[in-house]
Amino acid sequence: MIFEKRTERIFLAIFFVIALCIPLFLEDNSFFVGKATTILILAVFVMSLDFLVGRVGLVTLGHALFYGLGGYLFVIVTPEYEAVNFWIYAMYIMGISALVALVVGVVVLRTSGIYFIMITLAISQMAYYFFFDSLEFGGNDGLFIFMKPETSIFGLNFLNLDNPTHFYYLSLLAVLVTLLAIKIILRSRFGRIVEASRLNPERTEALGYNIFAFRLISYIIGSTLAAYAGLLFALQYGYVNPQFMTWEMSGTALVMSILGGMGTIYGAILGTITYEGLQYFFEHMSEDWMLFMGGAIILMVLLLRKGLAGYLEKLLEK
Amino acid sequence: MANDIILETESLSKHWGGIKALNDISLQFQDKQLHGVVGPNGAGKSTLLNMLCGTLKPTSGCIFHKGDQIEGMKPWKFVRRGIGRSFQKTNIYADVTCLENCAVAAQRRFTGSFNLFASRHANKLVREAAEKALCQVGLDSRIHTVAAEISYGEQRQLELAMVLATDPCILLLDEPMAGMGHEESQRIIELLNELKQTYSIVLVEHDMDAIFELSDQLTVLDNGTHLITGTVDEVRNEPRVKEAYLGKEDEEEAA
Amino acid sequence: MSTELFFVQLINGLQYGLLLFLIASGLTLVFGVMGILNLAHGSMYMVGAYLVWYFVAVTGSFTVSAILSAVIALGLGIVIERVLIQRLYNRNHLDQVLLTIGMIFVFNSLQSILWGNDPYGVAVPDALSGSVPFTDNSSYPVYRIFAAFICIAIAAALYFVVSKTRLGMLIRAGESNREMVEALGVNIKSLYTIVFAIGVMLAAVSGIIAAPMRSIVPGMGESVLITCFVVVVIGGMGSIKGAFVGALLVGVISTFAAVLMPTMSNMIIYIFMILVLLVKPQGLFAK
Repeated sequence: MIFEKRTERIFLAIFFVIALCIPLFLEDNSFFVGKATTILILAVFVMSLDFLVGRVGLVTLGHALFYGLGGYLFVIVTPEYEAVNFWIYAMYIMGISALVALVVGVVVLRTSGIYFIMITLAISQMAYYFFFDSLEFGGNDGLFIFMKPETSIFGLNFLNLDNPTHFYYLSLLAVLVTLLAIKIILRSRFGRIVEASRLNPERTEALGYNIFAFRLISYIIGSTLAAYAGLLFALQYGYVNPQFMTWEMSGTALVMSILGGMGTIYGAILGTITYEGLQYFFEHMSEDWMLFMGGAIILMVLLLRKGLAGYLEKLLEK
Repeated sequence: MANDIILETESLSKHWGGIKALNDISLQFQDKQLHGVVGPNGAGKSTLLNMLCGTLKPTSGCIFHKGDQIEGMKPWKFVRRGIGRSFQKTNIYADVTCLENCAVAAQRRFTGSFNLFASRHANKLVREAAEKALCQVGLDSRIHTVAAEISYGEQRQLELAMVLATDPCILLLDEPMAGMGHEESQRIIELLNELKQTYSIVLVEHDMDAIFELSDQLTVLDNGTHLITGTVDEVRNEPRVKEAYLGKEDEEEAA
Repeated sequence: MSTELFFVQLINGLQYGLLLFLIASGLTLVFGVMGILNLAHGSMYMVGAYLVWYFVAVTGSFTVSAILSAVIALGLGIVIERVLIQRLYNRNHLDQVLLTIGMIFVFNSLQSILWGNDPYGVAVPDALSGSVPFTDNSSYPVYRIFAAFICIAIAAALYFVVSKTRLGMLIRAGESNREMVEALGVNIKSLYTIVFAIGVMLAAVSGIIAAPMRSIVPGMGESVLITCFVVVVIGGMGSIKGAFVGALLVGVISTFAAVLMPTMSNMIIYIFMILVLLVKPQGLFAK
């Protein structure tokens, strides 16, 4: 069983049942289906961050770099007026993102601790300004996606990305696949050494493991998943711009992951939903929603030290 | 067989700024022997051990393992050559079970650690090796206990079990008996007596009775320099040792 | 580039660098002494600029407004430390990052509630409004020269306090050893409060000095924050000397980059920082 905790199983069961049904109830409300889709995509992004920060021990403040990269790469590698195959191009984009993550990872993993936070931030800021200042990539306006890709597999085509409900289910699938992938990796032999490197890097090295290699591979995995989330987000809204890559984006994802319960993975889903829900609520309550959001974050850090997942586990695990 | 040199240092030195933590040490460690290293505090024992296992880079000098020069290599490459070390300060994975602690140590020997899919629990060889190491040090009853919850002495035993689980040919042990009760210490002494039939062991230890009992060769360091290496009797009868080492010890006790 | 232009840009760069140092010094001081990573440091810079704008509009005097604003910032620093930061001393950097992100939200929101989202400007005080002729056909504003001297004076004062006074001795001791300071019979809590409040005040004073030179806009804190991170990381986290060198380097490099390669100017300092970290992973003046 890769889901070890009872709380985890209960939460995921409830989440997937509700998530599967949402479009059935909201068929005629495409705004809410769209909003729910965005939350699912963000959940993929936040899970990939939760994996890196909570499980590998790499506190990055530049994860949004890969989120934006996924979107930009799609526009860059696809022909402008042609509906390409989604699955094939998703593979390409994840492959290129993995290569970028390899190069970036070799650089950033030379540092550790606070310097790692800073250098990841710097690299994502660099990428932000690269796209922001470049005319070829549309500067601050970014780039538009004119043709949504088609999604046939072996000639079978059962998904239409222009249909919000179909896109919703594609995003839900992404959540499921990401969740399973991360959980399987964490349980694996690789995951054992990754866990050991986080708990005690010095000892792990003294037991004969090249922890740099384990961290680098983990970094590539987390970054590639983030790129996939960014690709979905760009496809949903039909554009990509430098705002995808801001450090605020990375910071918000960190907040979501901590709100949910750092390192629990399923907590990332919980945190994303809660954060987005709170924001929606505050936005409708008051123009100054940031004040309430900021207050909520401060309270959460002070009071909820293990996040929502930690709180639930206290209630449900005996 | 007495001339089977497995590990050797040549003019090994470590300087911190102007302080010579270790100066011009040339030692030979022989296969299937227990080589004790003693000396007063600050003599450079831990520095020596840290260089022998690769975590500390020497300022100058060389280390040879089976004839290969190894002093510039990464620490994890030392382990792959069969040089395992234990830490003076307990250095374990406190949040996981004793079995998992040793499984991390053992896994590298049997399976690809870069396998992203296979469950970590699936390999029987890893589990058996981890259990065997735990039994060797006498932690049979603690296999499934979380490491943070066992006693300090038991954590010292676990520390040793983790090194054994890497299946080294050379064991570098930094005060393995520090903080253990008498009974536990006796068990470790017995174990080391047994282990030196198959491994070569470099033992840094404060317990003089234990080290006199166990050592085939004994090296005395004082203030970063090499005083003498010889059999236990040779060392005991060396006046410089009494003067430099035992003399100081008396002073400390008197004070 | 003509020699004349070169020197004008060099002075611009140094002047910008000195201002950066003033902001970054507070950040690095708080990190070095207390181990706290304060992402809301840029918000304090913003608070300083808005406060001085507000008081100038009310009182009409820049000097009075500057003093009032600095005192309020000091008080704000004490309150924030006592109410929030104090609870974080034994937490990891992640919690600090989060809490201070929450503070950024709150400060940005308060700014928008109190003063709206229009850009503002503060007039240069009359006494400092002229220009000094530089060559035959160029001149340099007096206020910028004044600002540079204020920054140098504060840097010198900071150097004096840290290296020569009892408070400075405690600060240096606190950096290396918390228990030792307590063994000296000093209440470490008060020391931390003082240091944090000084850090906040340094950021606010930077905002006050910058107010007549730059426009006062929402989000001004965040953009300066990230630049300050680059400064302190290049210099070595916690090192005031490092922050000084890092700030001047960043100031000069980014000023010249803006002239020589405008499309890449924003990226240059990040590239520079990455190069520094590749050579020295702990910054230039790491401890």
